[in-house]
Amino acid sequence: MDIKRIFTLAGRVFTQIIHDRRTLALIFVAPLFTLSLAGVLLKSNPQDIALGVVNEDQGVAGFSLAGLIVEELKSSDTFAVTDLAPDEVDVALRAGRVKGAVIFATDFSQAIREGRQTTIGLRLEGSNPSTASNIRNHLSRLMMQRLASLATMAGQGGGGLPVLIEPSFLYGGPQFDALDYIAPVYIVFFVFFFVFLLTCVFFLRERSLGTMERLLATPINRLEIVLGYMLGLGIFALIQSAVVLLVTVFALNVDYAGNLLVVFVIEVMLMTVAANMGILASTFASNEFQVVQFIPLVIVPQMLLSGTVWAIEEMPAWLQPPAWLMPMTYANRAMRAVMIKGQGMESIWGDVLILAGFAALMIALGALTVRREVK
Amino acid sequence: MEYIIETQQVKRAFGSFEAIRGIDLCIRPGETYGLIGPNGAGKTTLIRMFVGLLRPTAGRVVVLGREMPEKAVLSQVGYMTQARAIYTDLSVRENVRFFGAMAGRQDSKRIDEVIALVDLSDWADSRVATLSGGMQQRVSLACALVHRPRLLLLDEPTVGVDPQLRVQFWDYFGHLNAKGVTIVVSSHVMDEAEHCHRLGFIRAGKLLAEGSPQALRAQAGTETLEQAFLKFSED
Repeated sequence: MDIKRIFTLAGRVFTQIIHDRRTLALIFVAPLFTLSLAGVLLKSNPQDIALGVVNEDQGVAGFSLAGLIVEELKSSDTFAVTDLAPDEVDVALRAGRVKGAVIFATDFSQAIREGRQTTIGLRLEGSNPSTASNIRNHLSRLMMQRLASLATMAGQGGGGLPVLIEPSFLYGGPQFDALDYIAPVYIVFFVFFFVFLLTCVFFLRERSLGTMERLLATPINRLEIVLGYMLGLGIFALIQSAVVLLVTVFALNVDYAGNLLVVFVIEVMLMTVAANMGILASTFASNEFQVVQFIPLVIVPQMLLSGTVWAIEEMPAWLQPPAWLMPMTYANRAMRAVMIKGQGMESIWGDVLILAGFAALMIALGALTVRREVK
Repeated sequence: MEYIIETQQVKRAFGSFEAIRGIDLCIRPGETYGLIGPNGAGKTTLIRMFVGLLRPTAGRVVVLGREMPEKAVLSQVGYMTQARAIYTDLSVRENVRFFGAMAGRQDSKRIDEVIALVDLSDWADSRVATLSGGMQQRVSLACALVHRPRLLLLDEPTVGVDPQLRVQFWDYFGHLNAKGVTIVVSSHVMDEAEHCHRLGFIRAGKLLAEGSPQALRAQAGTETLEQAFLKFSED
């Protein structure tokens, strides 16, 4: 193996990307733009959900419990409350003026007073499940708080305080949200995406321009070509993830616990897998348009199944085996262990080893396809 | 070592199609050898075996004393394909430097020299994509020459090349040949064949006849090489 040749090839790939200003810009702009967008969406709580209220509660001795809850709803940022008559509910829902309506029966306060079971009606528009579940979650949280404080105020049951759940956290903390969970694997996703796609396109171009044939007619061997490519593209992948890291830490206030050196080890392993998968995939594409079709074939399933957003253990049983066949699954798991839990090499070496196995498999498969060229 | 290239009953099949059907060739040091034949005769297959891109299905190919495929001899071989096979997003100099480095040659003096040889000094730092087709062809030739190969394999180097550049190319080849470089060139154009010391007529994967242009014409008893080729094809 000739180190000088590997560096020369890496230098050539590097120069080609530097010359291509638009690709260069995209390498950095694309992850930052989408990550910032995701950051804003994941960090923010829903606001001003249009909610109708039908308050028919007649109260007890001039005191209406429902009235207090409605006051609470009106003062919250989450909901924009409109008063409705009972027969207006479905009209308002259909017209889209409200996304849901809370209905208090005439004997609401009376029932509570007498300790009878009672219900609060909730009619939902329901076409967007996420809005519907937002309304349910925020509403029940609000009511729990209000009812609990009312109960305390009234000192019912001889001053018996309502039970409160007070959580404590092994990792993360109360402020830990979806973004903190997703940010570490964002780097994984973009490193994989970038290295896979660029290797694929570069190899395809080498084949179609005939430079691959010419390259193979020089003393450089296949391993040196692969290593040169990994090095040339890897530099950009590493700079890219460094920038993503900086932005998530300083602009999006994501909390990281882990050692950057271990992150680096995971990335190098992942790049090896991605580069070789790219080379392998490029043999199945005859133009750049077909390479684009690898995005839904190779990238999207990995993103969906690798635990990026949905935990694999919570997937349907039949989807779990394919999820464990995705290289990104192991990179994600290792990355989260390092970045969220602050664990080191000692707890992720298994995942790194599996990634190495994937890399070896891809190199072997790639070598088989190259033998098709030199036979 | 007597011969630069020597093949012994070399055969090459692609599936059931036999592209090369037993060819014996000897190419001598310092000669310009023309592989002449129509499209599909097997010229490219033969050259790709010389450079180790294809493995013979039977027989032997020995280049510079080593049985092919063998990476070690490739630093002494220059290979120019019919396709330009250069990086269009790099400059002329970057292309030449890259292919030079692949063969272990990196001195910038040689790079300038070879760029000057193909008359591209004024465009050395231009992106290849901005150059004309003929200029790109010259870049491709420079990339095949930069490491001072002892053997130059040219697969249809003048296809799609305008007459003026074709004359220029044959000047370069003559110049290199005078310096002792052995050249193997494939072509289906007979008037180019006249530039070669020796020719091999190839058809359907077989060597029909071999010899100097004069000898072949005399042997066939014809006026032109074209007629000679047809005569040999009939036999």
